[in-house]
Amino acid sequence: MRMRVEEKIKTDNLDAMAVKGKLGLKTGMLIALISANTPDKPESIAKFKLAAKEILNLSL
Amino acid sequence: MKMNSIRTKVVVACLCCLAVGLGGILALIHFSFNRNTQNLATQAVTGAQSLFAISETREIRKMSALTQSLNLNPRIGDALLARDREHLIETTAPFFLNLKDDGITDFTFHTQELDPAVFLRLQDPARYGDHMDRFMDKQVATTLTMVTGNEMGRAGFAVRTIAPMFGSHGEVAGYVEFGEELGQFLNAMKSTTGDDYGLLLDKKYINQQFWADSNQTLNRRDNWGDSPNYVVWDKTAKFDRICDFKGDLSTLPSTGQALDHFHEGNSEFVRGVFPIQDVAGNKVGAIFVVRDITTFYHSMQHTELIFAVSTVVAVLIGTGIFLLMLSRLVFDRLERIIKIATSVVGGDFGTEIQVRSNDEVGQLEQLFEQFRQVFVDVLSHVPELQQK
Repeated sequence: MRMRVEEKIKTDNLDAMAVKGKLGLKTGMLIALISANTPDKPESIAKFKLAAKEILNLSL
Repeated sequence: MKMNSIRTKVVVACLCCLAVGLGGILALIHFSFNRNTQNLATQAVTGAQSLFAISETREIRKMSALTQSLNLNPRIGDALLARDREHLIETTAPFFLNLKDDGITDFTFHTQELDPAVFLRLQDPARYGDHMDRFMDKQVATTLTMVTGNEMGRAGFAVRTIAPMFGSHGEVAGYVEFGEELGQFLNAMKSTTGDDYGLLLDKKYINQQFWADSNQTLNRRDNWGDSPNYVVWDKTAKFDRICDFKGDLSTLPSTGQALDHFHEGNSEFVRGVFPIQDVAGNKVGAIFVVRDITTFYHSMQHTELIFAVSTVVAVLIGTGIFLLMLSRLVFDRLERIIKIATSVVGGDFGTEIQVRSNDEVGQLEQLFEQFRQVFVDVLSHVPELQQK
């Protein structure tokens, strides 16, 4: 999911920090701390999908 | 512009203030305009009442002096005493020709009785012998002193004097009456002030036969049937509404009152009225005054427009300056704080929030900058980020 967000930011030439900040504020998570080792929490994933849809109009 | 932003709310508030302020100013101007027109009408009434009183007094003095000068010629009193109509006409007719030019419309001799009969009307010599049955006739016969005032006669509604005439031996020979029809007053007042006047009389104080006779004498249409209670004696204006009155004339205050504001054609007018009394003290009618206020009216309209435009421009400029200051001092700085705070959360730990002043927003900038520094310091100890 994070990779798709990074792609979207690059494709649309968006301000990466601003977009990640908005996503972070919306989900209550620091995007910078999300990595491949981050455990999947269904609640966090749902929040992230919702935020991505709202901010980037991106369906994950 | 977002509907829930402070900027939008401020703009809406300013527009509301503009509308309320403009409405208030227009209402104030309207109130002031109405008060001024009311004052103009009151001034017109006061001026007309004074002018009427002055004219009435002057004419009464003139007629009083005429009476005295007649009494200086005992031949006139003797002719009246002897009931010698031919001699009386011969003596006084040339005199009356000159008096007509001075506005005297009624020059009448009455017999010396408690209910005096008309002995000679110089303005209508063929008609005599009738009893007028008026207040002033009875009053002069009772008191044997001059009686003055307004009263209806066969030659119109007039300001009159009636006084005893004396024979060469000092005996009362009869009475002499002078009258000046009040329509002439209205025309004289109009030529002095430029205002228009109308005289309305209450029918209950007017003898209908006298009214008909007067109109015949003055060669006018008999308008007795035009209105149920009142009748217009004379008016200087072309339009009829000058004497338009639905109330009760007897309830008018003695100082008069302003009535209304109306327009006729392209002109604007104010109207007022004051009562007039007859010799017995009854409020027999009223004089209406109409003043043309077109120039004043247009001037007020122009002022109203200038005020309205000035208010709109001033409020718009004020609103613009207010919004500009708010943007510079508050909104732009808040937006910058939000942008940097968001970027920090997004991973941009290096952009500092510039504290631009020590005002309220400056304190918030400082607080956020301190918070950002703490936040960045905390994150610097997170292992995942250290690896990156």
